Amino acid sequence: MLRSVFGKSLWDQRRGILIWTLAIAAVGVLYAAFWPLMDNPEMAAVLEAYPPELLNALGFTDITSPAGYLGATSFGLLGPILVIVFAAALGSRAIAGDEESGRLDVLLAHPVERWQVVVQRAGAMVVAITLPVAALFIALLIAAGPADFASIGAANLAAASLHLGLLGLFFGSLGLAVGAVTGSRGLAWGSIALVGVLGYIANTLGPSIDAISWSRSFSPFYYYSGGKPLLNGVQVDDALVLLACSVALVAVAIIGLRRRDIAV
Amino acid sequence: MVAMPDAITTQSLVKYYGKRRGLDGLDLAVRPGEIFGFLGPNGAGKTTTIRILLDLIRPTSGSAEVLGQHPRDGGAALRRRIGYLPGDFMVDDGQSSRELLTHLGHLRGGVPREHIEQLADRLQLDLGVRIRSLSKGNRQKVGVIQAFMHEPELLILDEPTSGLDPLLQQEFLQMAREARGAGQTVFMSSHVLSEVQQSADRVGIVRDGVMVAVESVDDLRRRAVRRVEIRFDDPVPEEVFAELPGVTDVRLDGSVLSCRLAGRADPLVKAAARWGVESMVIEEPDLEELFFTYYAEPLDAA
Repeated sequence: MLRSVFGKSLWDQRRGILIWTLAIAAVGVLYAAFWPLMDNPEMAAVLEAYPPELLNALGFTDITSPAGYLGATSFGLLGPILVIVFAAALGSRAIAGDEESGRLDVLLAHPVERWQVVVQRAGAMVVAITLPVAALFIALLIAAGPADFASIGAANLAAASLHLGLLGLFFGSLGLAVGAVTGSRGLAWGSIALVGVLGYIANTLGPSIDAISWSRSFSPFYYYSGGKPLLNGVQVDDALVLLACSVALVAVAIIGLRRRDIAV
Repeated sequence: MVAMPDAITTQSLVKYYGKRRGLDGLDLAVRPGEIFGFLGPNGAGKTTTIRILLDLIRPTSGSAEVLGQHPRDGGAALRRRIGYLPGDFMVDDGQSSRELLTHLGHLRGGVPREHIEQLADRLQLDLGVRIRSLSKGNRQKVGVIQAFMHEPELLILDEPTSGLDPLLQQEFLQMAREARGAGQTVFMSSHVLSEVQQSADRVGIVRDGVMVAVESVDDLRRRAVRRVEIRFDDPVPEEVFAELPGVTDVRLDGSVLSCRLAGRADPLVKAAARWGVESMVIEEPDLEELFFTYYAEPLDAA
């Protein structure tokens, strides 16, 4: 693990990765445990009373079906939030965090090129995001039988997990890019919060408000859940959009870091 | 005979941080195989110069060459030949020194473990302790080890002796001399001459982003003023000593004569020999004093 910047980054963050992996898997299990409570006609009747626009905005569409329930909970609210926060921490720390603490000097004075540092740290970020998402997938797979939502199927669970991982990767790459270009972890977090909030609004409110309906196609959340991977499996086009944007952001990080001075 | 190219050269190096000036046309030439002391007060531009040499920052104008290459063009291959100690050695402090040094050694293409252990023994550093628990001086040792461990052609050290206690400063200076003996070049900054004067061949004095003077330490020493105290058997005539070349500030207190001496001691010794001398003390030259005269003079004298 000590041989490369990639391995060392993962090794240094092993505790954080482990904790987030356990936490995100636990969220999946907890939500799954609540599913039998939702799965009854009374709950459906309660939800009937709410205006559909509000339920849409909260992501509670079709919440009384297994896929709808998971789509609103593990994959709809807390799951993405936790994955995005985790990815944001990884991405903003990768360059800007090290730079602000003065640690980047020692590394960059060694025989590694700046682009290598960015690529290897981005690679470490991919692995670090994959672990909690994979844990969530496995946790839901195990919980599916007892919680009685096995009808979703392993393939669709995997598809939703893949989309979740790519969503995290997008935000992590955004943090990496802004951090690498500006050297500021605060700006990296700020840009993630901005894109996250605007993207969430565009995706959830966009469809019901004509004036901003165009904005939905700019939202990362649209490419995450718009194609309903829990019902329909992997949405290749959507997944590729998230992946391509992430790759582009890593490229921006490389260009940005190569051009500028490293702050003391 | 063709002279070996300089290990470091800069020409009219200028660096602005926004509107704030870091360097204002710094010229520097460090010869291969020498120990060069880069002296100046805080904020004079020492760290700025050093970080340009490592390609951590880029000059606004002017040029720098390290081992015959521009820092940016040289890239990783050039940095492989350099050992660098930052002025503020910051690393992830949750790891042990051994873990850090092993990792950095790998980045350098592998450094034998015994070599790291030897250096740690020499500086009395426990490699197994987490860096967080180390004192400032011990952290500095970690920084010194990572700069030296791959035996680079060129050592660029920003305030290497800061935080080290006097005994370890001596050990460090010995390491620098041994590096020179092995043909390595040492470029180190300091804000106090006394920390480097025993080892440095030459010192350059930087002030407000320009090099004000470059001197060989031997020349400095020759020109330096020493305090002298001679205890005679009986009182002596003060005026005889006041007339001697290089002698100033003569004071006579009973049979004890004190004065300041610049240059050779010979005239003073010969003059004193006419009387009975009980003891004679010539202090080590205070280069610091000479050094600070550069700061006392206004820059725009020309």
